[in-house]
Amino acid sequence: MKPSSILSSLNPATEPDSLASHERAEIDASTRGPVLLFFGSAVFWLLAGSLLGLLSAWKMTHPGLLDSMAWLTFGRIRPAHVNIVTYGWAFSAGIGTGLWLMARLCRVPLMHSRLLVSAAVFWNLGVLVGVLGILAGDSRSIEWLELPGYATPVLFIAYAFIGVWAVIMFRYRKPGHVYVSQWYLLAAFLWFPWLYATANILLVWQPVQGSAQGAVNWWFARNLLGLWFTPIGLASAYYMIPKVLGRPIHSYYLSILGFWSLAIFYSWNGMHHLIGGPFPAWMISASVVASIMMFIPVVAVAINHHMTMRGHFDALKWSPTLRFTVFGAIAYTVVSLQGIAMAIPSLNTLTHFTDYTIGHAHLGLYGFFSMMMFGAVYYIVPRLVGWEWPSATMIRWHFWLVATGILLMAGSLTFGGILQGLALYDPTVSFQSSLDYAIPFRWLRGISGFFLLAGHVVFATLFILMILKVGRRREGPALFAAPDDDTSATV
Amino acid sequence: MNVAEVHGSILREQSEPRDGCEPVPLWLLTLFFCIIFWAGLYLAYNSGGFRSDVFDSSRTAWAGGGATETGPVDPKVLGRRVFTQNCVVCHQTTGLGVAGQFPPLVGSEWVLGGDWHGDNHLVKIILKGLQGPVQVKGATYNNAMPTWSQLTDEQIASVLTYIRSEWGNAAPPISAEYVKAIRDKTADRTEPWASGDLQAIPAEKAPAVETPPPAPPPAPAAPSA
Amino acid sequence: MNKLPVIFVGVLLTFAASWLGLVVYPFLALGHMQSVPDEDTGGYFPPTLSGLAVAGQRVYAANGCIYCHSQQVRPAPLSTDIEKGLGPRRTVARDYLRAQPVFLGTMRTGPDLTNIGLRQADANWLHRHLYDPRSVTDWSIMPSYRFLYKMRKIQGWPSGDALDGLTGPLAPPAGYEVVPTGDAKALVAYLLSLKRNYPLPEAPMPPAK
Repeated sequence: MKPSSILSSLNPATEPDSLASHERAEIDASTRGPVLLFFGSAVFWLLAGSLLGLLSAWKMTHPGLLDSMAWLTFGRIRPAHVNIVTYGWAFSAGIGTGLWLMARLCRVPLMHSRLLVSAAVFWNLGVLVGVLGILAGDSRSIEWLELPGYATPVLFIAYAFIGVWAVIMFRYRKPGHVYVSQWYLLAAFLWFPWLYATANILLVWQPVQGSAQGAVNWWFARNLLGLWFTPIGLASAYYMIPKVLGRPIHSYYLSILGFWSLAIFYSWNGMHHLIGGPFPAWMISASVVASIMMFIPVVAVAINHHMTMRGHFDALKWSPTLRFTVFGAIAYTVVSLQGIAMAIPSLNTLTHFTDYTIGHAHLGLYGFFSMMMFGAVYYIVPRLVGWEWPSATMIRWHFWLVATGILLMAGSLTFGGILQGLALYDPTVSFQSSLDYAIPFRWLRGISGFFLLAGHVVFATLFILMILKVGRRREGPALFAAPDDDTSATV
Repeated sequence: MNVAEVHGSILREQSEPRDGCEPVPLWLLTLFFCIIFWAGLYLAYNSGGFRSDVFDSSRTAWAGGGATETGPVDPKVLGRRVFTQNCVVCHQTTGLGVAGQFPPLVGSEWVLGGDWHGDNHLVKIILKGLQGPVQVKGATYNNAMPTWSQLTDEQIASVLTYIRSEWGNAAPPISAEYVKAIRDKTADRTEPWASGDLQAIPAEKAPAVETPPPAPPPAPAAPSA
Repeated sequence: MNKLPVIFVGVLLTFAASWLGLVVYPFLALGHMQSVPDEDTGGYFPPTLSGLAVAGQRVYAANGCIYCHSQQVRPAPLSTDIEKGLGPRRTVARDYLRAQPVFLGTMRTGPDLTNIGLRQADANWLHRHLYDPRSVTDWSIMPSYRFLYKMRKIQGWPSGDALDGLTGPLAPPAGYEVVPTGDAKALVAYLLSLKRNYPLPEAPMPPAK
C-alpha cells in the first residue's frame, strides 16, 4: 500500500455513496430471516431477564422472598439475570442490528444467511443451557462469565459463524468509502472472539493461578462492554442519527479520532474495577491513566453527534428511532464521564463495593446500549416485514416507562451508593449503617424494575403485532407527532 | 414480499449516511495533549517502578528502597510463634504446665533467675535438654525435656524473650548472640543436663540487649535527573 | 480508512497491547508464584487448604457468594479496611495461590470475608448464620441457605453435627434437629480457612503493638 493511498483514504468521501431503492429493498429482504430471528430471541430474553432482575432487586429488600429453594437463591438468580440480559438480550439485539447495518453499508445483499440462522439457533441454545446450569448450581462465579464450561463452547461456535460471515461480507462489499459505523462493527467482530477465547481458556478451562484471574476477568468484562457493546451501539448511532435527519455526520476527523482513541485506551481500563486489590501498583495505575484518557473518545463522539443534531433537536418530538437513539447517545456520554470519575482512586474509595457500581452498570448497558437497540429495532423492523408499527401510542408508552425506569434506577443507586460508600469508609460507623442508608434507595430501585418490565411488555407486544402484521394498514411511519417539515418524515 | 409495501418504507428514506469535513476542534487537541502529559507524570510517580512485587503505588523505585519495607522483626511475635509451635504441648499456652508432669514457666525461678539460677542455665537447657528430678517453685518434677538445638539462635532467643515477658513475667530479653556464644561453648556436650550439673555452673546474667533503633522512614520520592 | 488491511492491523495491534499488558504479563508474573516457606514450622505461606475447604470453594461459587461479599483487604490511605478490622494487613497476589477460582468480589452488600476465619472461628455460629442469618444478626439482609441443611426427627440421640442454639421462626420444633449436608460442612470449612495473618515478603505483618 503506497503512502499516498493511505493518505487519500483519510479524506472523507465528497460524494455520498448512493443506494437505489430497489437495491435497498433487495438488501433488506436478504437480511430478513437472520435479523428477525435474532431480534425475536432478543425480545424473549429481554422479558426473561427483566423478570429475574426484578426478583433479584426485591430479594435485597426482602431477603426472605422465595429463599427456601436452591435454584431461586439470590446468588444464582442474580448471575442468571446478568447473563440473560447480556448474552441473551444485548448480544442478540446487537448482532441483529450489526447484521443489518453491515449489509446496508457493504451495499450488497446478505450472503450465507443459513450460516447466520444456524448461529442464532446455537447462540440461543448456548444461553439457555448456560442459564439453566447457573440455576442448577454450576455457576463459575466469574463475573460476566458465569456460564458453565459446557455452554461456552456452544456460544463460541455460534459466534465463529458470525465472525466468519462478517469478514466475508466486508471482503465482498461494494468498493468505495468505508463509513465509520463499519469500522466499529468490523473491530467489534474481530475483538470479541479474542476476548472470549482468552477469558474462557485462562479462567474456565485452564484457570491461571492466583490473583491473575482477577486481572483477566476484569480485562474481559471491561472489554466486553467497551470493545463489543460500545462499538455496536456507536455504529447504530452513527447510522441512525444522520440517516433520519438526512444530514452528514459533523466531522470525519472526529470519527477517526474517536475510533482510534477508543481502540488504544479502552482495553487498558480493566483494572479500575480492582483499585486497591492484590495487583502490582503499575497495573492499577495504567488502568487509572487509561480511564482518564477515555475522555478523548467520549468527547469526540459526543461533539460529533451533538453537532450533527444541532438545529434539529425538534426531530426528537416525532421520531421514535431518534428519540431512543439520542437518549442512548446522551446516556453514553454521561455514563462514560461517570466511569472516568469512578476510576480516580480518591473517588474510588467512596464508590467501590457499593450500589453506585450497579447503577453505573445499568446506565451503561441499559441507558446507553439497550435504548440504542430499541431505536435500531424501531427503524429496522418495518423495512423487514413490510408493515408499520401499529401504534405510536404504545411506542410512546414504551419510551416513557423505560426512560423513567432507568433514570429512577440509576439515580437511586447513585445516591444510595454514595451514602453506602461514606459509611463503609468511616471507621467509626458500623457495617450495619451502610445497609441502613441503602434501604430506601434499594426500594426505589425495586420500583424502577416494575417500570422497566412494563415497558418491555409493551415492546414485546408491539414486536409480536408487527411480526403478525396485526392492525389496519398504516400509510407512512408510526410517529409520535406530525413532523413540521414534510421532507423529514423519513423514519 | 409485496414490492409496493417494501417500497413504502424504503422510498421515503434519506440517502445513506455520509461524513462531513469539519476539522477537529483545537481545544480538544490541546486537551488531549494536556491529558497525555498528566498521564505520563501519573504513571511515573505511581507505578512502583513497574515492579511486580510492589503493591503500594505510593512507593516508587526512586525512593531507593526495595520491594519490601523490612524493619527488625519484633522478637515477641516470633517468640510467640515458636512457643506455640513447639512448647505448648507440655508447658501449655498458659505457661502453667501440667501439675506433677510438666513444670510451669509463670513465675518460675528457672525462667526469671533467682536462687542459684542464671540466664546461662536457661539457654543451656534449651540447647541440650533437661532430665532427672528438678525443683520448680517448691514442687518436684521428674520428666525429660528434649533438646531444641535444631532451632536457630534467633528463634531460641525470641522464645526465651517471650516467656520472660509473658503471663506477668518480667525479665530482660535475651539476644541471639548470647545464645550463639553458649551454643559454641557447649558444642561438645551431647547429654541432656541434670539439675545438679547446672547447679555446679555459676549463674550468669545475659548481657543487656540494646533495643534496635526504629526503622528510618523511607526517603521521600524524588525524580532522578 | 477505506482499506480492510489498515483497519484490521490497527485493530489487532491496539488490542494486542492490552492483551500483553493485562493478560500475558499477569499470567507470567503472577500466575506462577510459589508459596514461601515458614521457617518456624516448616509449613508454607499461604497455608494449604484442607480437602473439605477445597470442596467448600465449589459451594461458594455455586451459590454466588461473591455477589455480596468481597475477599480483599485494601491498604490505607486508599481505604480504611485495616482500621475497620478487616485484616491485619493488605492482601497481595500470593495470598490467592490456593484459591480456585479467585473470589475477589466487587460488592460489599455483606462484610468482606478475607479474614472471616479469624473473626469467627466458631463453626456452629457460621452454620447458624447460613441456616437463618436473621436469627443471629437481626439487621442482616443475607438470604437463608437452609437448603444446605436438613431438618429431621431426632433418632435416639441428637446428632453430633446438629446445629446448636437455633432460635427464631426457622428453629426446629421439639424432637427435631437441623444437620448440615456435606455442602454446608465444606462451605464452613472453607470459611474457617479464610485467614491472612501470616507475613509474606511483599506484605510483611505490621509490628505488634
